Amino acid sequence: MAGGYTGKILRIDLTNKSVSTLDSEKYQEYGGGHGMGSAVFWDLCEDKTVSGFDPKNVVTIMASPFSGTLVPAASGRTEVQGIGVQGYPIEYFTRSNFGGRFCGHMKWAGWDGFTVEGAADEPVWIDIRNGEVEFKSAEGLWGLDAVEAQEEIWRIVQNGEEKEWRELGKERTTQRPAVLTIGKAGETLSRTAALIHDAGNGAGQGGFGGVFGAKNLKAISVLGTGSVEIADPKALMDARLWSMEYAVAGHLDEDYTPLGMGSMFGGAPASGAAGYGPADQPKSPIGCLGCHKNCRARFASAASNGSSCVDYFFYHVYDQAAHGSYTQHILDATEALQRYGINSYQAEGAIIWLNNLHKEGILGPGLEIDTALDFNQLGTAEFAKQFLDMMANGYDVGEALHEGVAYAAEKWGRYEQDTASGILPLQCHGYVQHYDARTEVEWGYGSLVGDRDINEHDFNTLVFWAPSISALFGAQPACSADQLAEIMGEKLSPYNDPMMMDYSDEGIYSESMAKLVAWHRHYTRYYKQSLALCDWAWGDFFNEYGPEGRGMTGEGEPKFYKAVTGIDQSFEEGMEVGRKIWNLDRAIWILQGRDRELEVFTDYNYEVGAVPGYTTYEVPYVVPMYKDGQWVYESAVGRMLDRDKVEEWKTKFYTLEGWDPATGWPTRATLEELGLSHVADDLEAAGKLGS
Amino acid sequence: MADNDIKTTEGQGYSRRQFLIGAGGVGIGALAGGFMVKSFFLPDSVFAVPASEGYLVVDTHKCAGCASCMLACSLVHSGETSLSLSRIQVINNVFAAYGEEDSVVQEQCRQCPHPYCAEACPTGAMHADPDNGNVRTVDQAKCIGCERCIEACPFTPSRVQWDPKKRKAQKCDLCKDTPYMTEEGGVGGQQACVAVCPTRAISFVSDIPAQTDTGYQVNLRDDNVAWALLGLPTEDDGSYAPVATAAPAPTGH
Ligand code: SF4
Ligand code: SF4
Ligand code: SF4
Repeated sequence: MAGGYTGKILRIDLTNKSVSTLDSEKYQEYGGGHGMGSAVFWDLCEDKTVSGFDPKNVVTIMASPFSGTLVPAASGRTEVQGIGVQGYPIEYFTRSNFGGRFCGHMKWAGWDGFTVEGAADEPVWIDIRNGEVEFKSAEGLWGLDAVEAQEEIWRIVQNGEEKEWRELGKERTTQRPAVLTIGKAGETLSRTAALIHDAGNGAGQGGFGGVFGAKNLKAISVLGTGSVEIADPKALMDARLWSMEYAVAGHLDEDYTPLGMGSMFGGAPASGAAGYGPADQPKSPIGCLGCHKNCRARFASAASNGSSCVDYFFYHVYDQAAHGSYTQHILDATEALQRYGINSYQAEGAIIWLNNLHKEGILGPGLEIDTALDFNQLGTAEFAKQFLDMMANGYDVGEALHEGVAYAAEKWGRYEQDTASGILPLQCHGYVQHYDARTEVEWGYGSLVGDRDINEHDFNTLVFWAPSISALFGAQPACSADQLAEIMGEKLSPYNDPMMMDYSDEGIYSESMAKLVAWHRHYTRYYKQSLALCDWAWGDFFNEYGPEGRGMTGEGEPKFYKAVTGIDQSFEEGMEVGRKIWNLDRAIWILQGRDRELEVFTDYNYEVGAVPGYTTYEVPYVVPMYKDGQWVYESAVGRMLDRDKVEEWKTKFYTLEGWDPATGWPTRATLEELGLSHVADDLEAAGKLGS
Repeated sequence: MADNDIKTTEGQGYSRRQFLIGAGGVGIGALAGGFMVKSFFLPDSVFAVPASEGYLVVDTHKCAGCASCMLACSLVHSGETSLSLSRIQVINNVFAAYGEEDSVVQEQCRQCPHPYCAEACPTGAMHADPDNGNVRTVDQAKCIGCERCIEACPFTPSRVQWDPKKRKAQKCDLCKDTPYMTEEGGVGGQQACVAVCPTRAISFVSDIPAQTDTGYQVNLRDDNVAWALLGLPTEDDGSYAPVATAAPAPTGH
């Protein structure tokens, strides 16, 4: 067996409170993580059209061959999949992942992944210690928040011995078990509920917390004391040290000049949180297992430990508006979000929408939408807690918002109207706008042709943040638009087309933009979600520490893969695995009802011009464009999308992917070329094969 | 285990544990730190070994709890990644506050001036290695797996580990015996944990640093120019050394 794998997947059957194992070898061609999860889901979930709340829904929780190893920003990310409950109007098969150390312990316990099937007849938690798996009553845990539940499980598993070597079979450990749990929102089956692990790690998109709740599953605890076998340990250590040169970690003795920096891998300790707390509150970095960067923070107040940007973004602007700067309120509000176990994007979209409705005189005490929320208190931790309590427990405005913003809008009869005016920031498929499809199109398109808000920042950092922040401060981005196009032309193999970086009014509807979106879908499906390279570090295109500004992408991924597994796989071969996984996912969505007609943005994207601060990024949209024979960074503010041109772009994209342009369904030829003829057979049987 | 055991010392009528307690808040470490000598004698001691020429120091105010050091330690020694096989143990309570005792606990071997582990070893397997700067090391060929060294280490958890596959003791050798590391390890060489630590929270020093029972009191924050520029406190009380204020990092965070 290749290094990096344990060879076994643990199947957890909640209905019968029994476990069995699945040989993971036949799924290893998918890498691990997402690819393995999709393939396992395809095989185990017999009816892929059921609701996410149905006991027949299969949830996969997968490690990657890099989990628990020394691959930087890859060792600690766990991928979760299954039928989600946030998608609208269809509950699409979807994914989320979370950092921390859960997947490391899975591997050390002997497992490449878990499947969670069926539903228990009463609340349970699962105690996994190496090969031993026990179903335990969650009577004493039900009702505890996501922090309390973890601390209680730590206490049980550690048996009071906090710093001692404890025996587990023949092996020993000093470590706490890794626990994945739900808070109140999950227990009440909210569509907004997240899975929470350690401090600040959450799988929020998709609403898998509510899926756990429906399965009567409070938590999974895993403690492993074994090892991950590494095919070439020396090469792994060498590769790790090589990669350090591309990171702040390798340059701590030098001046740090953050302005103009753009690389993801090069990012700094605590950078994901440091900006959002009170400036004078002492803090240190917190990192996921094996991370070279450690982007999160531990605060002197301990509030919101381990949280990152988006956990704060649901509320930080209101704290700032109310108090003049970030205060303890934002830390306490974020802490509450983590404890309830609510997806921050849902909370963010909901507050923006409610606040807009309030300003329009529609929502407030005694108004058309009656609420006890006092908007004069917006910005305080108390307001946030009251609002989150409503969402988690389903009363007041939370009666509707418990179902998530899209279903709430439908319930209040406001979906069409509010997504047309844009006061409800839903971009597509029921997901809250994260980055603007009108200006940063690779993000919007990727979400449109997929299952959810993509949440992949590799291009985002370089095409939006670096130029926009630099513009804000009157500085030059570290990577010029010229250099960006040149680097992408080199690195975005197999297309290698610099015009993929053209975000001009013409460029965004071009064949090159179709290639960019396809490249991104394939890259992230394999390298980020299957090998589990962290979104906050990879892909590494431009890197201020790299030779001539070149990052590791293209070279780094195969180097680490070979060191860990022993398999010589080229970067392009990995991209093909990504394309295979992407098509497999596509087939599942199609069985669930997806077709070309459903791939449209909500109306505001076509009818209202993009403005900074539409959700919470109060930053102008400056993006790379090719104009008059030159590469420039220019503002795209005010842009709206053209419906017909988006439709033309879709035809280009479907054609490039080998899908039927009329329906968006993959053809048999495409699926067979990828070794997915069994998938083609199932689509054909359902009458949904592209022609 | 080690912390609860009372280890009696023949002929003296008091235990080493009591001796440590008797040294009060200062403890063995601080006491030892004051003696910059090549050998160290306790009242009962006929057992004296030369001082180690290398030590690891860790700044817990910097440590992110990523365990990269642990993964590197097991990787270069055993060729596999495992927390249980790591000679350095980081125990991270992610819910605890910055500065709170036990928020992140770094447990590395102190290379004690009086190594109880070596003293307890009946075969001489645990010894000060003259070929490697007198680092306290297990010669696994001589180790019979009796675990007396593990129990003798006065720290909790014991800095000597159990290797369940070989059924022998192992401990930090400052990376001398590292078949899976390209660079030479040991005193004068590279330590895997130091090399990979992304916050530079671990450092190798040649002289025994001042220490207390809870660890060495080191500040490695002000060694790094970037630390304060990143908005992270450099002083032990959580305050900052005066530096230019950094602008927000446009890394999308
Ligand atoms: S590698 Fe450094 S930051 Fe990470 S746990 Fe070890 S000492 Fe702490
Ligand atoms: S193992 Fe324990 S007793 Fe031995 S030198 Fe290290 S810290 Fe001291
Ligand atoms: S110096 Fe080497 S042996 Fe000692 S803890 Fe660090 S990595 Fe392990």
